Amino acid sequence: MTVTAERPAELTPRRPDRGPGSRADGWIRRAPLLPALVFTIIVTQLPFLFTIYYSLQSWNLVRPGSRQFVGVDNYILVFTDSQFRQVALNTVLLTAGAVLFSLLLGLLFALLLDRAFFGRGFIRTLLITPFLITPVAAALLWKTVLFDPTYGLINFVLSPFGAGDTDWISTFPLTSVMIALVWQWTPFMMLLILAGLQSQPHDVLEAARVDGANTWGVFREVTIPHLRRFIELGIVLGAIYLINTFDAIYMMTQGGPGTASANLPFYIYQRAFLGFDIGQSAAMGVVVVVATIIVATFALRLIFRSFSGGEET
Amino acid sequence: MAEVEFDQASRIYTAGAKPAVNRLDLEIEDGEFVVLVGPSGSGKSTALRMLAGLEEIDGGQIRIGGRNMVGVPSRDRDIAMVFQNYALYPNKTVGENMAFPLKMRGVPKEERASKVRAAAEILGLSEYLDRKPRALSGGQRQRVAMGRAIVREPQVFLMDEPLSNLDAKMRVSTRTEIAAMQRRLGVTTVYVTHDQVEAMTMGDRVALLKDGELQQFATPAELYDQPANAFVAGFIGSPAMNLFTLPVSEQGVRMGSSELALPRSLRSRISDAGLSTVQLGIRPEQWTVGADGNGSGVKAQVDVVEELGSDAFLYAHLDDGEQTPVVVRTSGRSGARRGDQIALTPTSEDLHLFDPSTGERV
Repeated sequence: MTVTAERPAELTPRRPDRGPGSRADGWIRRAPLLPALVFTIIVTQLPFLFTIYYSLQSWNLVRPGSRQFVGVDNYILVFTDSQFRQVALNTVLLTAGAVLFSLLLGLLFALLLDRAFFGRGFIRTLLITPFLITPVAAALLWKTVLFDPTYGLINFVLSPFGAGDTDWISTFPLTSVMIALVWQWTPFMMLLILAGLQSQPHDVLEAARVDGANTWGVFREVTIPHLRRFIELGIVLGAIYLINTFDAIYMMTQGGPGTASANLPFYIYQRAFLGFDIGQSAAMGVVVVVATIIVATFALRLIFRSFSGGEET
Repeated sequence: MAEVEFDQASRIYTAGAKPAVNRLDLEIEDGEFVVLVGPSGSGKSTALRMLAGLEEIDGGQIRIGGRNMVGVPSRDRDIAMVFQNYALYPNKTVGENMAFPLKMRGVPKEERASKVRAAAEILGLSEYLDRKPRALSGGQRQRVAMGRAIVREPQVFLMDEPLSNLDAKMRVSTRTEIAAMQRRLGVTTVYVTHDQVEAMTMGDRVALLKDGELQQFATPAELYDQPANAFVAGFIGSPAMNLFTLPVSEQGVRMGSSELALPRSLRSRISDAGLSTVQLGIRPEQWTVGADGNGSGVKAQVDVVEELGSDAFLYAHLDDGEQTPVVVRTSGRSGARRGDQIALTPTSEDLHLFDPSTGERV
């Protein structure tokens, strides 16, 4: 993206025909950037144009020769598809839930790590570890080692209390995926909030104590307002990553049972590569991209507003 | 309003090391303005923070209004503090900043607003109440910090170098404002600074600390005229007092090749203390300058002349073989120049004598 600032007309000098400042000179200086621009267009914009083109076709790979132009029929189908609405809701629930809970847990751990105690460095490393694990491996770990109904650790721990026979993943598919995601994303939120906590000036905290605030008062009145923009950043970045979740769903539930734990990326994948319905899935993809652009615009505006404000005194 | 007592109060950061504040004894009267002054690392800020409840009291007691403060959290001490960097709440407006201590004490909203308005009126902040601190100048922020302290009507004001972030001119005017406001409100105030001019001009009494130990606690005039030891003598006064360690002779002391006659009262103090060498302190204004060659006085050569208009300071060195530096105050435009030979005679009889081994006043 380029930002061009309009210059007042009287300040714009006449462009020379040759030499520095001429139109040719401008292109010579921009030329080294062109390969990157061309590459970006090829890998992001062309596929999107193709997707739009496919979305206007009825084209199922299992029925060769059936390909034909159908206009916006695919889009009408998308909006009347109750499964699509269910999956869209799943996406919102999964993203919002995972962001919210990892944020709350991250805040809690960050507050603990912000105080000095023996072995803090070691504990901090342990807490960061989930973030360093490959998402596929993490999902597999939750599916087999922890949630498995026969030899999972959770049922093993619960069995002495007579509650160890739940098949967690088929009973609570969306919640199970969400738990695995929260486990992976809590360290990210924790690090972000910890950075916020440690950038807080000490004298402001001391002033609040002298001014009569108890621990909760200091936290509510001084720390939370200071952390606001770190929390906002966590929400936006977390949402951007988590809305695209695929690996955890693929590994743990395959979107099932039915579409109970599928989100939009996974559902589109299913329709395109398991149902081979290129036209339908392309239309869904376009709808998702447009919706994402709308949401992302607001989210990014939020980030830039809270970070360009510059709260430091 | 209350009196404040430090009773053998100590702060020890690491066991076995020298305490940051060592058995400090201060009795501050109700309504008094006391300045804690000292070089950096003297423990003055630590002492203030102990009083504020931001540092532990590891030994002894601190009492506010007769009540022992050991183990009492800051919020229950009924104090207000002004910090060096003001420590305003960046997300709150000026009005919210000033109302915060009242809010934390559960004061109703209307009462908070009227108190904040009254304080803002006094401090000239009325039109800024809706602004955030970052939209204010340094001087205005400083006043917001003051306002936040005074709306509380606390028993004690604590101020930790509140002027050090202001420019020189602001500092002088704000200094007077703070002193005047304190007199009007009559609230006991403990003020920390490293600037001896602030200490001398603002304090009813001044406590001078060094390495965590109290050196002297007295009125500014007493500190200047009767310094308890050579450190106090050297710290208070600008330029600093001239201190010479000299052998005692018949009529006074030997200063280089010449003999400096001392009045009988001073000679008897030296002999009572049984000293063979003595540390002699002469303030820059306690010299008269004569042209060289009239025989009397200590000979010196001028290195630098600082002309201030009303006064001039001559930075010179003595002709004693060791080039001992000496500072002399003369009237302005005295015509002295670099390289001039001058003869110096102490004018006053109130010269300061210190024991060279202990530094104590003789």
